[in-house]
Amino acid sequence: MEYLQYGFIQRALISGVFIALICSTLGVLIVLRRLSLIGDGLAHVTFGSVALGLALRIYPLYITLPIALVSSLAILKMTERARVMGDAAIGVVSSIGIAGGVILASMAGGFNVDLFSYLFGNILAISREETILSIILSVIVLGVILCYYHEILSITFDEESARASGIKTDRINKILVILTAVTVVLTMNVVGIMLISALLILPAVTAFQIARGFKSSLVISAVTSVLSVILGIFISIAVNLPTGATIVLTNFFFFMAAFLTRLGKDHL
Amino acid sequence: MILTLSLLSLTGSACSPGSGQKEKRPEIIAVTTLFPLYDFAKHVGDDRVEVTLLLPPGMEPHSFEPRPSDIMKLNRAGLFIYTSSAMEPWADSILKGLQNKDLVVIQSSRGIRAGTLSEEKEHRHDQSQHPESADPHIWLDFSNSIKMVENIRDGFITKDPGRKEIYEKNAAAYIAELKKLDDRYRENLRGCRKNIILNGGHFAFAYMANRYGFRYVSVYGVSPNAEPTATDLARILKRIRDNDLRYLFHEELINPRVAETLSREAGVTLLKLDAAGNLTKDDFYRGETFLSLMEKNLENLKRGLQCR
Amino acid sequence: MKIIEVENLRSRYNGLNVLDDITFSVSEGDYIGLVGPNGSGKTTLIKNILGILRPESGQIRLFGQDRSEFHAWYRVGYLPQRLSSLNPGFPSTVEEIVALGLISRKRRSGYSVDAYRDAVEKALHMLNISDIRKKKIGELSGGQQQRVLIARAIINEPDLIILDEPAAALDPETREQSYALLTHLNRQKNVTIMLVTHDIGSIGQYANKLLLVDRRVVFYGSFDEFCSSIHITDLFGTHSQHVICHRHEF
Repeated sequence: MEYLQYGFIQRALISGVFIALICSTLGVLIVLRRLSLIGDGLAHVTFGSVALGLALRIYPLYITLPIALVSSLAILKMTERARVMGDAAIGVVSSIGIAGGVILASMAGGFNVDLFSYLFGNILAISREETILSIILSVIVLGVILCYYHEILSITFDEESARASGIKTDRINKILVILTAVTVVLTMNVVGIMLISALLILPAVTAFQIARGFKSSLVISAVTSVLSVILGIFISIAVNLPTGATIVLTNFFFFMAAFLTRLGKDHL
Repeated sequence: MILTLSLLSLTGSACSPGSGQKEKRPEIIAVTTLFPLYDFAKHVGDDRVEVTLLLPPGMEPHSFEPRPSDIMKLNRAGLFIYTSSAMEPWADSILKGLQNKDLVVIQSSRGIRAGTLSEEKEHRHDQSQHPESADPHIWLDFSNSIKMVENIRDGFITKDPGRKEIYEKNAAAYIAELKKLDDRYRENLRGCRKNIILNGGHFAFAYMANRYGFRYVSVYGVSPNAEPTATDLARILKRIRDNDLRYLFHEELINPRVAETLSREAGVTLLKLDAAGNLTKDDFYRGETFLSLMEKNLENLKRGLQCR
Repeated sequence: MKIIEVENLRSRYNGLNVLDDITFSVSEGDYIGLVGPNGSGKTTLIKNILGILRPESGQIRLFGQDRSEFHAWYRVGYLPQRLSSLNPGFPSTVEEIVALGLISRKRRSGYSVDAYRDAVEKALHMLNISDIRKKKIGELSGGQQQRVLIARAIINEPDLIILDEPAAALDPETREQSYALLTHLNRQKNVTIMLVTHDIGSIGQYANKLLLVDRRVVFYGSFDEFCSSIHITDLFGTHSQHVICHRHEF
């Protein structure tokens, strides 16, 4: 296929695969802990912090990353201390982010590049540096998950028992939450909020339909995600559709297939 | 006279638009929607007219939504100048809700036919099927700008017939400037090695291209938010190759990622074209005007099209 | 040897003083019944012992070591009252959950993959759940889930097992089997057991000591002492005393 000669297609495929790996594995953990919309929530926070960065004339990444880290740790603290359920905690942080961004945008009276373009990305426009970044990030994330696999499973299943086994639950929770925040911030500008949010949730939910076991869930989630990206890119080329949305729809297709498989099995 | 006018407009834009820092109290407040209208109105009016711009610097015109303070401004205004319902879809609903009986509304695009374009476009939708989504950046064809200045002048005269001569004089002077600009464009864009303007942004420059006999292709369609597909990008790259282009144009106020990707892939240089819908913050503080922006465009067009 | 030593423990939960000046110790081979009315702090107490909660003040020692320096958690098995929030769709299999109990052994050298597999087999077999090993935890009945969690608690062959209301909402057969297993471990293997329960009627059948807690230690001692104590009769009346004591084999 002649499109493969284009650098932007190659980069989309490579970075897409690695981003898919990161999001699908983190996504399994996020969905099980009822934090599914954290991608969305952090995106709203990023919106506010980009506004702040532009208003202060600082390169937005230097503001968005710390604020995203703080917000996600705040979400974590809320679920632990204030007994707020995950989704509500995300909602709290998310609405502050958006409101803050809107106020800053109107106070500052305008910016050099449209604020909203920071929420939308295009995987076809990813640069070489961003591709390398996604590879490094995925090595780190997968490394952490592999290294702490049993601890993570234990905490996700029952945090108190995990603590009673001597696992440092606070530390691991923080690491996971930080990884999620970093992933969302770094990839959001590249592929956009729609794609990130979908990649965090859909593959995991697909895996849960048919997987038997935690390890199996991680594997199926990763495979589904990677396939969706690759197929999605090729389909979007063939049928001339926006690439990001096609990836999401392909992923949904896999989900329907898994769901129907499960229904079929249940009824036999 | 022209010197005084340009000095006035420079100092005017150095303050925030509509800050009304004049010794005499302005007698007429004119509220404009987009930057070109703001600049035109400033040149037609004199220091008894306070011209304000609704769109804050840096904001993409399509993303604009009026705030309560904007509505209040309109309630106190004597003139409201906008382009068309296509360019400012929010204008009609605001006007309906206003209680300002003395407001004279100038639809600056009156008498101009938009969408009469036979350009090639890369955008998926066939433009002839959707006349409402025709490109609204009519001021980029300077004969249209002249018409718009005339409409504005007439609106001023309707509102303030007592100073008719002043408005006619000012308008004539500015129209002369626009004509000179048009001539300069025509001269400089003669005999160029390339005859296609390729824009990594949206469709805005079709009028300009049409006027001087260039083909025009853009990656996005009329709205800057639609996502280009892989096919769109590939087609643009093919154009660059087929026409052996060394430059690719891109636009202000839009995230340049797509244009950058294209330039990297094709090994071409990016040149900025300003559709002048709004100013960036930097431009604003530098005191750019419509004419100065168009001069910059001309420079980049000369380079990109490899003219003489 | 003293397995658990608690001195002047004070604990707060959500800002309230739940435990006040608790002092007691547990010796090797003890089988402690931890009873008390609702809200008396029983769960808080064991969470403090296990390191899930941190005390406001006081000292806790496990196997002679201060709890904050204790790392041999594989010597302790824990059955929680209920899972913090079990998602019915949780994808883990019975096997995976039982194997989780081995986590505290993970970093210890000399624990081979084979030993790991053998331990899982043994635990599954002991709780009679080998046939459902591949089922997802969310698909099991309450009784089956409980057995899985008990298997997880004992897989390390711990020296101390702490259980929080293990019999609540269980079918009688599973309950009997669980108690039988605990008794076996305690009598034959000298495993120390601490069991929180509401079931004061039957605790006398198994335990050798009674720890009665209501924010403070109301009573701690052998059943002999409990059943002959006039003080207890005053506190609770003869009927309660009788209910607890009549099952106990002196």
